[in-house]
Amino acid sequence: MFVPLQSDPVLLPETIGRVLFGGEIAIWQEAVAGFIAAFVIANVMLANAGVAGPWAKRKITAAFTDRIAVDRVGPAGLLIIPAAAVQLMAKELIIPDGADRPAYDIAPILLALSALIGFAVIPMGSIFGINLQMADPETGLAYVFAVASIATLALTMGGYASNNKYSLMGGLRAIAQNIAYEIPLIVTAASVVIFTGTLQTSEIVAQQAEPLVTIAGITIPSWFAFVNPFAFVLFMVANLAEVGRNPFDIPEAPTEIVAGYMTEYSSIYFVLFYMGEFIHIFLGGAIVTTVFLGGPAGPILPGFVWFLVKIWAVFLFTQWARSAVPRVRIDQLIEIGWKGMLVLSFANLVLTAVIVGVML
Amino acid sequence: MSSQEKAPEGDLPETHGVDYDALEELLGDRVIRRESHLNAEGFVIRPDEVAGALDLLRNDAGFDHLSMVTAQDYEDRYESIYHLTKYDDRTQEVSVIVPTDLENPTSESAASVYKTAEWHEREAYDLVGIDYENHPDLRRILLPETWQGHPLSSDYDQDKPQVVTLEEHVNPVAESQEDPDSDTMFLNIGPHHPATHGVLHVKTVLDGEQVADVEPDIGYLHRCEEQMCQQGTYRHQIMPYPDRWDYSSAGLLNEWAYARVAEDLNDIEVPEYAQIIRTMSAELCRIAAHMLAVGTFCLDIYGDFTAIFMYAMRDREKTQNILEDLTGQRMMFNYFRLGGVVWDLPEPRDEFFEKIRDFMDDLPGTLEEYHDLITGNEIFQKRTIGTGVIDAETAKQYGCTGPVARASGIDYDLRRDDPYGYYDELDWDVVTEDGCDNFARLLVRMREVEESAKIIKQCVDLLEDWPEDERNIQSNVPRTLKPDADTEVYRAVEGAKGELGIYVRSDGTDKPGRFKIRSPCFNNLHSLEAMAEGEYVPDLVAALGSLDVILGEVDR
Amino acid sequence: MIGVLKSMATTLKHALDGSTFTVEYPDVAPEVSPRFRGVHKFSQERCIWCRQCENVCPNDTIQIVQDDQRNGEQYNLHIGQCVYCRLCEEVCPVDAIILTENFEFTADTKDDFVYNKEQLKNVPWYKDMDPLESREPDRSAWVGEGEGEVDYQ
Repeated sequence: MFVPLQSDPVLLPETIGRVLFGGEIAIWQEAVAGFIAAFVIANVMLANAGVAGPWAKRKITAAFTDRIAVDRVGPAGLLIIPAAAVQLMAKELIIPDGADRPAYDIAPILLALSALIGFAVIPMGSIFGINLQMADPETGLAYVFAVASIATLALTMGGYASNNKYSLMGGLRAIAQNIAYEIPLIVTAASVVIFTGTLQTSEIVAQQAEPLVTIAGITIPSWFAFVNPFAFVLFMVANLAEVGRNPFDIPEAPTEIVAGYMTEYSSIYFVLFYMGEFIHIFLGGAIVTTVFLGGPAGPILPGFVWFLVKIWAVFLFTQWARSAVPRVRIDQLIEIGWKGMLVLSFANLVLTAVIVGVML
Repeated sequence: MSSQEKAPEGDLPETHGVDYDALEELLGDRVIRRESHLNAEGFVIRPDEVAGALDLLRNDAGFDHLSMVTAQDYEDRYESIYHLTKYDDRTQEVSVIVPTDLENPTSESAASVYKTAEWHEREAYDLVGIDYENHPDLRRILLPETWQGHPLSSDYDQDKPQVVTLEEHVNPVAESQEDPDSDTMFLNIGPHHPATHGVLHVKTVLDGEQVADVEPDIGYLHRCEEQMCQQGTYRHQIMPYPDRWDYSSAGLLNEWAYARVAEDLNDIEVPEYAQIIRTMSAELCRIAAHMLAVGTFCLDIYGDFTAIFMYAMRDREKTQNILEDLTGQRMMFNYFRLGGVVWDLPEPRDEFFEKIRDFMDDLPGTLEEYHDLITGNEIFQKRTIGTGVIDAETAKQYGCTGPVARASGIDYDLRRDDPYGYYDELDWDVVTEDGCDNFARLLVRMREVEESAKIIKQCVDLLEDWPEDERNIQSNVPRTLKPDADTEVYRAVEGAKGELGIYVRSDGTDKPGRFKIRSPCFNNLHSLEAMAEGEYVPDLVAALGSLDVILGEVDR
Repeated sequence: MIGVLKSMATTLKHALDGSTFTVEYPDVAPEVSPRFRGVHKFSQERCIWCRQCENVCPNDTIQIVQDDQRNGEQYNLHIGQCVYCRLCEEVCPVDAIILTENFEFTADTKDDFVYNKEQLKNVPWYKDMDPLESREPDRSAWVGEGEGEVDYQ
């Protein structure tokens, strides 16, 4: 089940399996090991996105707006997040009349889940000699885009099932936006795949480790952000739309449609939605890191640290954009998506294909 | 100060070039008799000839601005007063008075001539109980639909409880708007919605994401401000309340509206020194109010967590600090008194001037930053240019004033057109834009901040050089003011949102007999329907933000 | 696109300079102007029970009870209803009531905000600021007759 296609480096489930059971590993032992590994990774990512994320977001937003932000509960206000979690979970779960029950309940879980399982194939580098990658299938990149787009389904379900007009509008906006932006996103990623010739994430990362140029003793690695900056910019913009952040936060659009698909969610469901969104931003960051920023590669520090630094940098960028860039209107968003991004991404793909075909 | 000051002694008000005899001739036998108000002559018109008379005055005599409709009741009759003036020359005014009998208070509606009369007459019907014939949609506007009686009418029994059975009082939200054949969706925006800036309910009909029909439902913040003023004495008790009409830091501008009308009514002079202080502090208020308007408008465009909102709040805070030093409060100033202001500038004066100058010096840089942050941003331009459009003619029909009118190219500012205070002695310009859209309204506000700064700087220079023994902040005003009975006056000032007018009729006591407020927000909000129809929901929200309505002032 | 980048540069500048304009209330007590109008303070020793303040109050916040010889018995002020217009202080001929700079007051119920004359007497000064000085400098000459001490306590 978890047979790695590439023998080296060893993936996390296998490492755990060897520690627990040693020597030959039976199928059920492999399953246990895989389960433990998934648990570890999911918790690390939850802590990263669900706990550090909201806190950091408050701090970052405060810095952009000349405020102080949380600093009372715990060191630097860090404990405000557990406090807020307890507070939110203690709240009454209000389910609107006429809500479409199974769908209403599944949507928040699905959103958080879709983002979490995306991390399974992301090469997160190693720490203390342990490689933190869960699985490394040949179709890694296709898999991660596939699971990430389940989120759209969750948003639409939540929006539709809430029996609220604002939620419905939010849900419909989410579909329109995600269809319009997922195609450019994937097409742009495909231009990278033309370079690498594989969808396997570890292979994509490995190919970026080679030096691009050396200037004055400093070697610039051939990260695809440097090789093809145009694709990188396109991908970053499409990624903003994919994770629903300014200027593309229209499925939520507070001040317009209240909170979009989230309007009718309270208590623990709200926490799931909220956390799902954060994990999604970080998954977006992880994809950007893997495809364009050389994955966990970096000098001196362990790979996992570099990986975290990079996904946080992407997160910082989304918050920065949020402080300064207005939200576009739904019709403008669709126009930018279909008439701008799509054309540009295909142009990028064709151009890359020609260059790769002619030069390499 | 007021026209009273310049008016020749005697009972005749100054005509400002209006030939009332010619107007009377124009109106012919519609006129029953003439009345004289302190601000203008009034023609008493037969109740079945209102539209015809107003049409003549509008189209032949050029009175294209219906500033306000006042309704009131006397012992023997109801009366509606249409206060007309001109966008080209604010000093030319005429009142059209329509009496109706008590048993059957019916008069013809003016809504066919002036669009803005539609809401004003609804309010008159709601509060006083006058029935307007041919009105397109005569419903209650401030009070709930189920309200019994008309509270400002004299036969209204205040002690009678408003018992409304549950069946009658169905939740308007629960009302089924479903229509299987329809392609549209009914959506309640408000009363609780992040973008309504107060408690406003906008009934919207959507066709997809586009707005097919919009109808603001107001009255959630109705606090009986007019009635409260009618129960206060002229001398002291009314002044604290104007601060609470437009509470977006525009308090002093509102206070000035009351000060102006009461000083005209009681023939009070204001010392020049106090006028300069008034001008300076009022312009500080305007900056604060416009900062809030810019900040909240951008909040509607950007969504939360935007930086511009906090920056605008920060700069508003600076004006509030200065105003706190001067008046003793940050928002509810109660600083003006009839005949002047309550306090001289705080000691040490140099420090105070320094504080204002520092703020003025920082202001150009701050505004430059705003332009970098918002108006220069292409996405922002894409969002705001060409949306929420209202052309000048429509704006006039709706009685729009203030930045909303000036952004539609209407060159109309009471500070210049009907001078009061110290404005006509100072060097400043009226800002207009021709864009007619959300972007133009934002630009007008930002440029007005610059003009206000210009005025403040000049005032500070004047105050600094003012001889110490001539710092007279209040003229000698008797403790009790009792203007002659049945003196009527309507005066307006340029508030933060536009023409803020007050009509007062005295009844011989020390309290007003009728106190009517012309709220600029009320008129501006009415024009939302013209701006938003056919636009997308985000632009409806943006247009609402660009109108900068304060619901406290809309509902009074 | 340049405009968008300019906007982002503007906010980044603010983020990097590290300055904040909000304060950590209540750890940092805010500065208030000497003229600021807060909770009332009342001096029974000064009051001549002329009822001017009760009369001028725009919303009947002040209630005075006198016996049949017009001696004062009660002086009640609903500080929760007060609009802090300072008209009572303005009309008072003997400065028996003034508005301190103190703006910090809480209560569990609305009724707790009805202060009687004892409670009004015990309202603390804010940062030892005496509002009379800043408001009417020339008045203090005769207000403080005697040793010039404030005798509100």
